[in-house]
Amino acid sequence: MEEEEEEAQALLAGGPHEARSGAPAASRALSAVCDPSRLAHRLLVLLLMCLLGFGSYFCYDNPAALQTQIQRDMQVNTTKFMLLYAWYSWPNVVLCFLGGFLIDRVFGIRWGTIIFTCFVCIGQVVFALGGIFNAFWLMEVGRFVFGIGGESLAVAQNTYAVSWFKGKELNLVFGLQLSMARIVSMVTRLMRPNSKQQVELRVSLSWGGVTCILSLISALALAYLDQRAERILHKEQGKTGEVIKLTDIKDFSLPLWLIFIICVCYYVVVFPFIGLGKVFFIQKFGFSSQEASAINSVVYVISAPMSPLFGFMVDKTGKNIIWVLCAVATTLVSHMMLAFTMWNPWIAMCLLGLSYSLLACALWPMVAYLVPEHQLGTAYGFMQSIQNLGLAIISIIAGIILDTRGYLVLEVFFIGCVSRDALLSVVLLYLVIMPGGGNLNYSTRQREEMKFSHTE
Amino acid sequence: MYSCGALRRGWGHCAPSPILFFSLLLSAAPFGLLGEETRQNLLHIRAVGTNSTLHYVWSTLGPPTVVLVATNTPHSVLSINWTRLLSPEPDGGLMILPKDSIQFSSALIFTRLLEFDSATSDAAAKPPGKPYPPYSLAEFSWNNITDSLYPATLSATFQGHPKGDPTGAFANGSLAFRVQAFARSGRPDQPPRLLHTADTCQLEVALVGASPRGNHSLFGIEVATVGQSPDCPMIQEQHSIDDEYAPTVFQLYQLLWGSLPSGFAQWRPVAFSQEKAGRESALSCQAFPLHPTVAHSLPQSPVVQAFFGLQEKYCTFNLTFGASTGPGYWDQHYLSWSMLLGVGLPPVDALSPLILGIMTVALGIPGLMLLGAGLTLILRCKHASEYQSIN
Repeated sequence: MEEEEEEAQALLAGGPHEARSGAPAASRALSAVCDPSRLAHRLLVLLLMCLLGFGSYFCYDNPAALQTQIQRDMQVNTTKFMLLYAWYSWPNVVLCFLGGFLIDRVFGIRWGTIIFTCFVCIGQVVFALGGIFNAFWLMEVGRFVFGIGGESLAVAQNTYAVSWFKGKELNLVFGLQLSMARIVSMVTRLMRPNSKQQVELRVSLSWGGVTCILSLISALALAYLDQRAERILHKEQGKTGEVIKLTDIKDFSLPLWLIFIICVCYYVVVFPFIGLGKVFFIQKFGFSSQEASAINSVVYVISAPMSPLFGFMVDKTGKNIIWVLCAVATTLVSHMMLAFTMWNPWIAMCLLGLSYSLLACALWPMVAYLVPEHQLGTAYGFMQSIQNLGLAIISIIAGIILDTRGYLVLEVFFIGCVSRDALLSVVLLYLVIMPGGGNLNYSTRQREEMKFSHTE
Repeated sequence: MYSCGALRRGWGHCAPSPILFFSLLLSAAPFGLLGEETRQNLLHIRAVGTNSTLHYVWSTLGPPTVVLVATNTPHSVLSINWTRLLSPEPDGGLMILPKDSIQFSSALIFTRLLEFDSATSDAAAKPPGKPYPPYSLAEFSWNNITDSLYPATLSATFQGHPKGDPTGAFANGSLAFRVQAFARSGRPDQPPRLLHTADTCQLEVALVGASPRGNHSLFGIEVATVGQSPDCPMIQEQHSIDDEYAPTVFQLYQLLWGSLPSGFAQWRPVAFSQEKAGRESALSCQAFPLHPTVAHSLPQSPVVQAFFGLQEKYCTFNLTFGASTGPGYWDQHYLSWSMLLGVGLPPVDALSPLILGIMTVALGIPGLMLLGAGLTLILRCKHASEYQSIN
């Protein structure tokens, strides 16, 4: 029973944590919205949890929407511009790893969330000041501070979700949080300046500051509600469930390392490409600025509804590796279409969106099958860490390639990354898994049969 | 006369014949004819093949002009009658002999330097803003190109500024036309890195240091060509997937004078606002279609009249550089734009070996591995199905 719940949680992207919560019911007569054990109250909490991530997701993609203006006003080339993303990723090489630990051991979920949200706020304010005073170095500092809070906030969000929704609507909550992230990112992209550039830059940056303050208010409200629920329901404070130990890394098996490689190599061809893609669509396909932003955001638009759907599908059919292979192959086709043809890029970007959603749903849960429960936190923390490391490095390299050799070479570089590493790893994974009889690629029916045979 | 001799050059894939001899001749008008010491520059580039010759005659007598001539004999020569050329009726002052060997001839005249005030327009306007009075390039005085002739790189630079400059806009500035010929195929190191062959000449137009008349001035250049057929030639825009050599520029513009083989002009719609050309200093370049123009509304080119006779009709087009936002001339008071001029088949870019190599490896290795995995699967299934149960 417990195993099934863990599996159900792990099947959706970004949800590594289990919380041990008791379930005594409150016996006081409260209205539905104020009663922590009732659905209406949980929906309120769900709303606050979504708002918690709102600021972080909104501000993460702020530079991409303002790329042209920033590059012009600050007189920076693409390499320097991509540093704004690198400064977000570098701290999280280490901090993802420590975030869960800090929440678990040091701050507690409530204070941890508030502290990380404060970091997000301060970071965005500093970034906005840098934009207003035309100081690029200040923008970089802002992104660094923002980065310290951003990814750890995601861990905190997941922890809250598990704490409030385990055993109830947890899968749906994870799916919705993912969709929320994508929708917000898309909205960010669509809100970019049209003509009077200088004024709009400030407005856009100020909006980012406002959303972060909204997140901070949500964090405070959640902390209050959580404390109140603990008092009423006698619920334990949500923990991430594991103590992250650095020594756990040496116990990781080869298939797990291959999964890490696939994860890194995949995301580095999606996020940096979207970061630099707007100018590509304007220059190569002759789109207007608005159209280019729209098409750039279609990846997120598609993943908003498709992530839960694909999660459901992968949950029902199993066979994770096949789905990962499909996603990687589709991404390869998509990049090849963008690089070597003049076909309407909407097709390629839709394919990219579908494959991105599919991979998220199929890849992350595989970790849960390969790693014992007490190491799950370390594994997910490490996976996010190296993903951030890869993103940070590749962001800089992508900027350099673009400045010196142009978009075609950049696309070919991405194609090389996808195919060489991901496809290779997936194939290798298949060969590794098959003789050992591991359960990564079992269909759902096979997994059920295994469970029954274990319980007999 | 100054000659820098003949250079042997290797095979060019667009060459009309295997081996071309190449010579660069520079003429300056004899002193006596002009009275004062004003030198008139005339640069003659002659590329000789086994059974053809290409002549490029560059001159700043009047507005900067280039006359392109292709002949079907390796023995054609340029004949200049300076007296006639410098007279008010220069017809016949410039000739390629023998005349009946001429297969193709045309000319490009850079008539005016245009300036627009971009602050009063939006990006899509044509023309891109309120125009200031243009500078007529026939009223420029030019340097002595013997000082800027480099035989090693087969290049020469014509540098000029307006003769009368009441506002002092060109006090510290100049407009330069750098002409370069090539002994073999290749690409320059600086963007836009146009592919050149031995049949082609590269022209780089650079405006340096001139003071603009507004805070956000956009510059342009008016170009005229001799109208041979009733209709003016068209500028073709070619789209390609390849922006390796000019990052983020996916288009190539071509002006073809007639059906192939004939003369062509080729350029990428990009100009640069810094000497070290790169993506951050790239300006867009708009080309407006050619339209017929009567001769008397343009600055007259004695060189064209000398070679072609008195022309009634020209075809002109404008090129403008930059937009009201983004990098512009105002950054460093520098603007440069390149084009390629030639006769025959225009050079065609191809994917570089780097890209082909990466794609081969990127698709080849996983493809092979997938094949191997598939075969392994099939073999395993076969092996499993061959299992015989004990009873």
